[in-house]
Amino acid sequence: MNTAVQVTQIPVLLRGETKSVVAWIRQWDWSRVRAWVAVTVLGAALFGAAIGWWRAPLQAFYTAAKFPLVLLLTALGNAVLNAMLAPLLGVNMGLRQSLLAVLMSFTIAAAILGAFAPLQFFVAWNVPSFNLELRSAFLGYRFMQFATVSFIAFAGVMANVRLLPLLRAHAETDAAALRVLFAWLAGNLFLGSQICWVLRPFVGLPQAPVEFLGPGLFQGSFYEEVFQALRAVLLQQAEVGL
Amino acid sequence: MSVAVTELRQVPALLRGEAESAAVWTETCDAPRVAMWLAVTIGGSAAFGAAMGWWRAPEQALYTAVKFPLVILLTALGNAVLNAMLAPLLGVNIGLRQSLLAVLMSFTIAAAILGAASPLLAFVVWNTPPLAERASAGGAHAFLLLTIVVIIAFAGVAANLRLLQMLRRLGGGAGAARRVLFAWLAGNLFLGSQLSWMLRPFIGSPGLSVQFLRDDPLKGSFYEAVFHAIRRLFLD
Amino acid sequence: MSDMNNTPPLPPQPSNSEPASTPTPPPAAPGAVPPLFGAPGTDPADRVPITNMFGASEALLRHPRRIWFQLTQSGQLHLTLALLGIALGCALVYGFVVGTFSGQDQLWAAPVKIAAGLLISGLICLPSLYIFSCLGGANTRLLEVCGLVAGLLALLAVLLIGFAPVAWIFSQSTESVAAMGALHLAFAAIATGFGLKFLALGFRELNARFSGGLRVWAAVFVLVLLQMTTALRPLIGTSDSFLPSEKKFFLAHWFDTLDKDSRTGNPR
Repeated sequence: MNTAVQVTQIPVLLRGETKSVVAWIRQWDWSRVRAWVAVTVLGAALFGAAIGWWRAPLQAFYTAAKFPLVLLLTALGNAVLNAMLAPLLGVNMGLRQSLLAVLMSFTIAAAILGAFAPLQFFVAWNVPSFNLELRSAFLGYRFMQFATVSFIAFAGVMANVRLLPLLRAHAETDAAALRVLFAWLAGNLFLGSQICWVLRPFVGLPQAPVEFLGPGLFQGSFYEEVFQALRAVLLQQAEVGL
Repeated sequence: MSVAVTELRQVPALLRGEAESAAVWTETCDAPRVAMWLAVTIGGSAAFGAAMGWWRAPEQALYTAVKFPLVILLTALGNAVLNAMLAPLLGVNIGLRQSLLAVLMSFTIAAAILGAASPLLAFVVWNTPPLAERASAGGAHAFLLLTIVVIIAFAGVAANLRLLQMLRRLGGGAGAARRVLFAWLAGNLFLGSQLSWMLRPFIGSPGLSVQFLRDDPLKGSFYEAVFHAIRRLFLD
Repeated sequence: MSDMNNTPPLPPQPSNSEPASTPTPPPAAPGAVPPLFGAPGTDPADRVPITNMFGASEALLRHPRRIWFQLTQSGQLHLTLALLGIALGCALVYGFVVGTFSGQDQLWAAPVKIAAGLLISGLICLPSLYIFSCLGGANTRLLEVCGLVAGLLALLAVLLIGFAPVAWIFSQSTESVAAMGALHLAFAAIATGFGLKFLALGFRELNARFSGGLRVWAAVFVLVLLQMTTALRPLIGTSDSFLPSEKKFFLAHWFDTLDKDSRTGNPR
């Protein structure tokens, strides 16, 4: 079957028809993989464009290019680790199968994000430009953040809900499937956050120029930043306490 | 002439609530029958309007006799399309013609009752002190107003009971008939109130001159007036 | 595969209910499954072809099962376009009535904005409805979902036409933008309610039940419609520009309008 035909089978993934999906990941079919990658790239690019468009049209173009990269690099970067973790935690899957399973879940997430992209565009169209001095603009920014996080969270949850039955089909027990799911989730979240950090900005600051990658490309990491932020908050609390 | 008499004889059948006949009559648009229903609607409501307006002045009686049927007919026409859409959506599968005829039929029943009660109302008005003498005849005025309200309410209830029976007969079950009746009532009340507001006065006020329409008939709406009245009552 | 292109077989019917001549329905779309008992198409009346926009609007109001059945057959695109045509035409007419409140430029601006806003809202929400239906396990095709959304928009707009005489009478009497806005919102709420009911029943009749996702989608659709009234403002009052320069949330816009109305009377 060619790639176009495979794209029409995406609804089967969304419906979670485990029997079909289990058969699909059993063997590597290039046309299917191309279709899944195409949907992942297109869906994530549309959603990325909607996020970036709020800042500027050029930022929309940059984010459309970077957002699919985050998903694909995360899937590829963790491919070997995921393939090792699965049998160790009780799910009998090889490298090819685990990579296809992760790609499948990312395809589902990207398809959902692509479908939400028009809504995200609509939100961006109706939210005032970022301005900390204007209360309405700040509230709008918060609403935009809320909408974006909600869409991504929903897509992520649904992708994992569809991944779980697939893992169960290969697992010795339900607990093993859950263990593998959490291990994959943790690994993907860990690597994905850092890739996002490296590829920032996705929205961009209003005072900074629109650019493809930030000036401090490989300076620091997402986790260092979180650590510094936490330390600042805790130290401030301690000073207040003293 | 004989056709008109035959059609006129069918009005008692409407009043008796012979749903079977009424349902058949709404299926085809028979011009003499519709003309007779219109005549009864106009005649009955005009007679009642005249009796109502006569309390203020003979000239007001003439004006109200013209305007009262207008409110009824414009309400039926203004809501015709909406009523025809709401009926099938709420479970009674009838078309524009049937729904319009059903509403007209219920207005004919109400107007026939109002027309029959108009001599009674005229008698009460004749025996009530003129409207200008408000201070000396508070009780009599209250009685007259109450009489008007009771007659209109009775006519409305009777017309809608007959309409409900006919809607049940047209299919969809009792629940659907009730839903459609409620939706039509709400729509007609909503539009009818505004039309009455635009075509005011019907009785008139002793402090204002007798006139066909107020100087600014299109200014404001019935519901804005109610809203402002409530606000004044609670905030002032 | 060739079987799928033929008319789905009718389930056994009592002989006395069989009409003298059953209308020939269009052939089933590729991928369509034969109807279950009680599903649209089992009654011969559902199979009467819808040939024009008038027939489609009558079917929307009186025989929605005909629409649901035809959407599963080939030629569904024509029906979808007819429904969109109805939505567009009726929205333009209702928009004109809305524009009579202020007159002048609003006589053309309001119809354009209302028709465009309605269609854009449908377009924005269509992909998410399809995704929600798939995630809910519904086996509906994208073209069927497009048809159902077109039906929702068409029924909404047709019902607005029913309200148009009432809206016109009020727009000639009141001076208050807030009062007219509230009236139009009330009419739109009723029309949207019936439209969403058509959509939900349509999914049910097509054997696609996903009540939770549909409720979430309905809430999103209503929010988009409400925000669209603010994004394309003014629909009722007047303005120097066709579209607003300031971005606002619809609730903030309503409160501002109410405030302005109570302070100045907000003339049309």
